[in-house]
Amino acid sequence: MTTQGPMALPEADAVPSGVLPDRRRAPITRLLRAEVRWIFRRPRTLAVLGLLAALPVITGVAVDLTMDGQGASAPAGPGGGGPGGPGGEPPIFVTMATSAFVLPLGSLMTLLMLLLPLTVAMASGDALAGEQSHGAMRGWLLAPVARGRLLVVKAVGVLVVALAASALVVTSGLVTGLVLAGTDGLVSMSGTELSVADVLWRLAIAVAWATVYLMAVGAVALAISASTEHPMVVVVSVLGGLIVSGVLMQISALDWLHPYLLPTSVTSLVDLIRDPVSFDGLGEGAFRALCYLAIGMSLAYARITTRDG
Amino acid sequence: MRPRTKALVAAGSGIAAGLAGLALTALPAGADDDPVLPPIDAEQLVTSTLAAQPPAFSGVAEMQNELGLPAVPGMEALDFESVRVFHDGEEGARVQVEREASELTFVKNTDEAWAYDSQENTAKRLTWDDADAAAARGHAEGEMADPAQAAAEIIERLRPTSDIFVDGTARVADRAAYELVLTPKPSEKTLLREITVAIDEETRVPLRFDMFANGRSEPVLSLGFVEFELGAQDAELFEFTPPEGAEVETTEADDVARAAGEHDAEGAEQRATTVGDGWDTVVIVEAPAAAPAEGSAESGQDLAAVLQQIGEPVTGEFGSGSHVQIAVGGAVITQDGRIAAGAVPLQVLVDALDQE
Repeated sequence: MTTQGPMALPEADAVPSGVLPDRRRAPITRLLRAEVRWIFRRPRTLAVLGLLAALPVITGVAVDLTMDGQGASAPAGPGGGGPGGPGGEPPIFVTMATSAFVLPLGSLMTLLMLLLPLTVAMASGDALAGEQSHGAMRGWLLAPVARGRLLVVKAVGVLVVALAASALVVTSGLVTGLVLAGTDGLVSMSGTELSVADVLWRLAIAVAWATVYLMAVGAVALAISASTEHPMVVVVSVLGGLIVSGVLMQISALDWLHPYLLPTSVTSLVDLIRDPVSFDGLGEGAFRALCYLAIGMSLAYARITTRDG
Repeated sequence: MRPRTKALVAAGSGIAAGLAGLALTALPAGADDDPVLPPIDAEQLVTSTLAAQPPAFSGVAEMQNELGLPAVPGMEALDFESVRVFHDGEEGARVQVEREASELTFVKNTDEAWAYDSQENTAKRLTWDDADAAAARGHAEGEMADPAQAAAEIIERLRPTSDIFVDGTARVADRAAYELVLTPKPSEKTLLREITVAIDEETRVPLRFDMFANGRSEPVLSLGFVEFELGAQDAELFEFTPPEGAEVETTEADDVARAAGEHDAEGAEQRATTVGDGWDTVVIVEAPAAAPAEGSAESGQDLAAVLQQIGEPVTGEFGSGSHVQIAVGGAVITQDGRIAAGAVPLQVLVDALDQE
């Protein structure tokens, strides 16, 4: 069944060579639409997105139930967090852990440790290795679609997943927070009360930043995905890489190495809870992600252009 | 063959660009040459620093702490990542101590000061009335009436035990600064080698403070700006309204002064004694048996207990105790509850205790 979806389109567009050059190309928007439709039709995509949407709700409700009044703080992160953050502490902290401001950001940070990268790795694994394992890749590679364009289509598919997943986490946290605490507790760590517009602006930045971060993970995953035909290898390598990075980040003797590790950036999302926001850490994190993106995409491109059907 | 070459080029350049970018983030910024500035002597530098009005600026400071402090309760204040500082050039100041998952915020303006701790969600407010403020200002101005004289006095006080001089220039937070250096005279039995303060050439704001210990090339304690930008600051930064639900505690400056006075009177009996002067001063205090202030009694007791556990046992004429050593000094906690501390080696501490 997987062989049907996106495959049908490029093949339908295949025309004998020698015809007008502009007709040889399938319009990229159509390819993209097909790719995205195909991604969101996979039950596993929907399942993991559902899980991502549910976790902020579970966290919010659990914290709300266990927290008696004020004073209680620093609850553990949502279950999907895995082996803790780079600092080894749960990244939720402020007193109003259930507020419509801290809950979405805290959930996003916790889930960025493992579950969100897993989602993206899964999408990347399906994008190239998955198609290969189903034999569907051959169709793509034989179709008159330039390899570069094929990679672009696949990368945009991963990008859509990254954006959808992080937006979903933040939205779910925001809604849960609004239901639990209304517009109370929209307070920064510096003790300033924030307006709703200000909170939404900061959350939008968080989503954009998380998307860039996840896209860096996705690019590396695509590079692996282009080199194997087992989607499982992609997922395992990405998770393995993240866990190893996490371990390395705990070792202070390796301080010099930490700027090279992608997950080093995640904690800078905390700066969005400070007032005024300091963009230094976020900027550096985004730049680091772009470096990973360049490495991952160029490797994926090299691999995909030299690949035999 | 061509796609293969293309692939290699793409992979090579992409990886090279990515790694270069990562290396860029890993490199410490600013290994520039020291700036060339007009020569100045220590006294002039201190005078102009004392005379200077702080400008309106915003900055980020970071601390490097190699002191090797034992992990004891009550030291959390030193456990932070970076500090953001805002100053409006007059009365307003805002300092944000950023910790990994919380923040301490201090805000001061013309008639009140706030300290907010996001971890506890507590706010402390200190107010004063205009008369006090005016008096304090007058007092400060009176003392600083003649910066040249004040500077001369400070230097005169330091001279018997220290060499004070300007040692070239440095670039701190991308600004040109003079390095004012204070070193102990050879007769001083201290573990400290030197203390340097980098003073901004343009505004005379101290930009960095470094403390060096004997036998180490890197500073053991360095607190300095990594970013410093002059410019008017948003007035809102110097106002603070505690968030709803925060515990607020208000005190007036008068009360604080009175409490301090009482405390002094009480402390007179068990006042700290000092042995020696200058760099090898040893301070001996009675470990607080009675509570010096509410709340801190327990942590004080804990502190002594913890220090006793981690220290090395020492004995001398004074009795016995345990010695805790950090990079720039040490402390001896005796069995009979005295604490002797200073930036000195163990022997000096023991001598001081024996002498007392």
